[in-house]
This record gives sequence, C-alpha cells and structure tokens, in this order.
Amino acid sequence: MKDIYILGIETSCDETAASVVKNGRQILSNVINSQVKIHAQFGGVVPEVASRKHIENIALVVDQAFSDAGLEYADIDAIAVTNEPGLIGALLVGLSFAKGLAWALERPLLAVNHLHGHIYANILEHEDIEFPAVCLVVSGGHTNLLLMEDINNYQVLGASRDDAAGEAFDKVARFLGLGYPGGPAIQKAAQKGQAGKIKLPRVFLDRHDYEFSFSGLKTATMNMKKKMEQAGELQLWDLAAEFQQALIEVLVEKSLQAARQYEVKSVLMAGGVAANQQLRSLMEERAQSQNIKVFYPSLGLCTDNAAMIAGRAYHDYIRKSYAPWSLNAYPSLSSW
Amino acid sequence: MLILAVDSSTPVAGVALVEDHRVLNESFINYKKTHSETLLPTIDRIMRECDCKAADLDALAVTVGPGSFTGLRIGMATVKGMAMAVNKPVVALSTLDTLAANVWASEALIGALLDARKNELYYGFYRSGDQGPEALLKDMIGSPQDMVSQARQLLETGQRLILLGDGYYRYSAYFEEEFKEELKAMPGHLSLPRAAAAGILAVNKARMGVFEDPYRLRPVYIRLSEAEYRLGKGEM
Ligand SMILES: [Zn+2]
Repeated sequence: MKDIYILGIETSCDETAASVVKNGRQILSNVINSQVKIHAQFGGVVPEVASRKHIENIALVVDQAFSDAGLEYADIDAIAVTNEPGLIGALLVGLSFAKGLAWALERPLLAVNHLHGHIYANILEHEDIEFPAVCLVVSGGHTNLLLMEDINNYQVLGASRDDAAGEAFDKVARFLGLGYPGGPAIQKAAQKGQAGKIKLPRVFLDRHDYEFSFSGLKTATMNMKKKMEQAGELQLWDLAAEFQQALIEVLVEKSLQAARQYEVKSVLMAGGVAANQQLRSLMEERAQSQNIKVFYPSLGLCTDNAAMIAGRAYHDYIRKSYAPWSLNAYPSLSSW
Repeated sequence: MLILAVDSSTPVAGVALVEDHRVLNESFINYKKTHSETLLPTIDRIMRECDCKAADLDALAVTVGPGSFTGLRIGMATVKGMAMAVNKPVVALSTLDTLAANVWASEALIGALLDARKNELYYGFYRSGDQGPEALLKDMIGSPQDMVSQARQLLETGQRLILLGDGYYRYSAYFEEEFKEELKAMPGHLSLPRAAAAGILAVNKARMGVFEDPYRLRPVYIRLSEAEYRLGKGEM
C-alpha cells in the first residue's frame, strides 16, 4: 500500500505547531513554536495576543515542518487541522491557513478534535495498547474520564463539575506565588516539600461515580495558606505537595475504579497534566497490583503539538471522512 | 496579470478574480454567516466558474487592515496558505485604501471610515489621483469627533466631503448634523469594501513589483490588544 503523509496544524491555544506524520504512526517532523514566555508576563494565555502570534508564525512553522520532514508541499496527501475545542480566534488562524493550503494543493482537509489528538499521542508512541481502554484526559481546559471501545468510539464516564485539573494547578500556583504555568511550578515546589504533613480533602473520592470537582480543593488550599500565615508558620512546599497529592489521588483512584468496573486492561492518560511526574508514578504504582497497564505520551507529546493531530487524522483519511471547505472552528467541545 | 483578491476585514466577505483591468468574477457577502464558513467555499466557486486553479494565478491579494482582528486573520491566513502552496507572491492592501477606491475621479475629499467599536473609528482621508485614491491621512484611529475635526482641516472651501464605510452608517446622524450640504454619502453598492477594488489596486501594485513576504506578513491592527495596552499602563 502507498505511504500516506499527512500535515497536521495545531493553533488551539498558545502553541503554533505543525507536523508531518507518515501512515498515522511515524513522526517525520514536529515543529512547535511556544508563546509561553509571552503569556507569562500576563499571568495566563491572552487570546488576542495568542492569535496575533499565530498569524505571524504559522507560515514559518508549516514550512519548517515540511523541510524537517524532507518533503515538498506537493508530497503531502492531506492537511489536518484542529477545529475544536480551543480559543476561537487562535483556532481560526490554523483553520484558515489549513484551508488555503489544502485547497490550493487540491488535497483533502481533515478536521481534528484537539482532545482526540491528545489521546492519540498515546497511540503514536505505543503499539501495545489493548482496547477497550479507560482514558483520563486532563488539561488546562478539560478533565474527563472516558471509556474507549476503539480509537473512534468514546463514552464519557465523568467530568469535572467546575475547574479543569490544569486550571486548578494554574490558579493555586498563582495564589501560592509560584508562577505560570502552574503545573510545572507546583510540581517543582512539591518536590521540596512532603505531602501528608498538611491535610487537604480528596474531593468526591468517597462517591462511586466518575465526577470530579477541584474548586473545593482550590478553596481549601487557599484557606490553609491563610491559616498558616496567620499562625506564622507557612510551609509553602508542604502545602504545594499536599495540593498536588490530593488532586492526583482522586484522578488515579477514579481511573482505576473505572478500569475495574469496565474490566479493561489499559488506562491511557492524555493532556498537559499527564506530564505531571507524580501523576504518572502514582498511576503506575497503583495499577501494577491490579494487573492494569498504564500508558502516557512522552513529555513532548503531552503538551500541545501537531503530530497528534496529523496522526489522529490518518484514520479519518482512510475512512474518507473529509471536512468541507465551510468547516468552522468551535470554542467548546461539540461531542466526543 | 491574474490576481485573486480576498477581503474579510469587515462584516463583508469579498472575493474577486481580476485579470489586468477586468474583473472576471466577484462575490460580496454581507449576510449572517461567519467568514470562516463563507470564504473558502466562495474562493472555490469563483475559481471554478472561471476554470482557474491556484497555480494559474500570478499573485494573491489580501486586505491587511485596519478592521476586525479576527476577520483580518481569517483572510490573511487563507491567503498565506494558498500562496505558500503554489509559491505565488502576495500583494497587501490597506482596507481603507480599498474602501476609498470605491470613489474614482472625484473633486471631493474622501473619508473612508470603519467602525472600530468602543466609540471609535479607523479612518483615512483621500483625494482622487490618476491611479486611484491618494492618501492624505492614513490609518487613523479616533472618536467620530476627532475624525470630524480632521476632516474640517482638510476640507477646502466649496469642496464636498464623501464619507463611506460601515463607520459612516454607525454615526451618520452626527455627520449629517456636522457637515450638512457639504456631505455626500455613497450608495449601498459602493459604501463597503469591494474585493474587486482590492484586485484592481493589487494589479497596479504587482506591476510595480510591490509584494509582501508571506512569512512575515501580519495585519495592520493599529490598536494594541487589550492586554498589551493594560500591561503598558502597568495595570496588570
Ligand atoms: Zn491541549
């Protein structure tokens, strides 16, 4: 069979990314232009600033993806682009560029759900995933527990009622004065402290469903900080460690509970928060005794990238599930 | 010289295919749907109707602002993608120049006004030249009152003032009150930016070899983003 080369474009948040993936598996190039330093001065991603950077960077990033892959534009079989969910203005830059490119090259356009992309990052790197699988999607915008029959069928088991896991990391990091982005900042601070010395709640862990809530934990962390400050004994590192542990334990326990209930052998993790070292090791540690295999992408593929988009799109290309030229972008998730 | 011109800087989505002085096909859509939904299907239709492919073009043209930030980026990203696919040069046009080109060979002072929201206008003043509009004051932003006082300074005695653009409609009552008989508005088919005008202006620019680097091209926003503005004022 002929090899299929797909260009992926991803601009849903603050990374301008492009990648060429061969046959839905082999990453030939993976270019990421991160704006994280620019947004750090604002304390978070500013949508208009992100969109402005995307339009400046998009052509260079795509060109680089082709040259890194050693391919000419005409060598590409299809162009895939993230069209939901994300910052609408940011998504529209990548989408419009992808449309112009695909139309002029006379190649099909493929629409990719950003979260399907994050999940697919696992499939790009691991060949031994058994389906059905339970998948934990944890990022700045989403916290979902899913049951996947195969790579095209998702059943939502539960979601966060309030803040997404990554959002809780960002907010607490800001409140503790640890900086932005919050995930890496808290992970670093937590390494200097010890969880368990201070006690924070494991919200919803006693419930036998797959719902999450992180805003209560956030508030409890903030109150604890104030209390400790008033007593003149703020242990910032221990507080960061306990916050991280409290959040992660809930994620791990609920994921494994779902794996047991649905009798699956694989648990996948996806999204930016899946880069958290403590989450990875705790999930593996507790899954091992239950004979469940844990999968997560390498660090570089946990955060936003276009290889996961190009990879995911391969399966739509094979099914000839092409997007129309009228394809639009959407800020929130329309469906799984 | 075959040029495809795209304008999505205002609520209008415009696409035109222009060959030298001839407009071969033009679409002007000022109705509900978003640019993201309409632009590429329109480009596809116009090119098909003229049996043209991207590779047949000599250049692509796009209006680069001022205008709606998102709208500008949709048009520009589309054009960048097309230009890179077939390795064709890009001609950039000011939205206000394009709008002013709806008036040709007039003695009047021409004011092109775009609604910039927040009670402001993007505007420029022009006079008719041999090759189309010549800018007297370019890419301004200010209140309708600012614009009126600048128009007064430029207006010569007995000269008419032509105002056009969606910024005119927004404040038409105020302008009529201010300028009375001096003022002339443009009819509906000439009051908003036309991709055909962008195409015609682009042919002139392309003939003079005035192209943009598609890698570096960015919109002319005039305004800082809200966040940059507040950061500059030390409010964040
Ligand atoms: Zn993401």
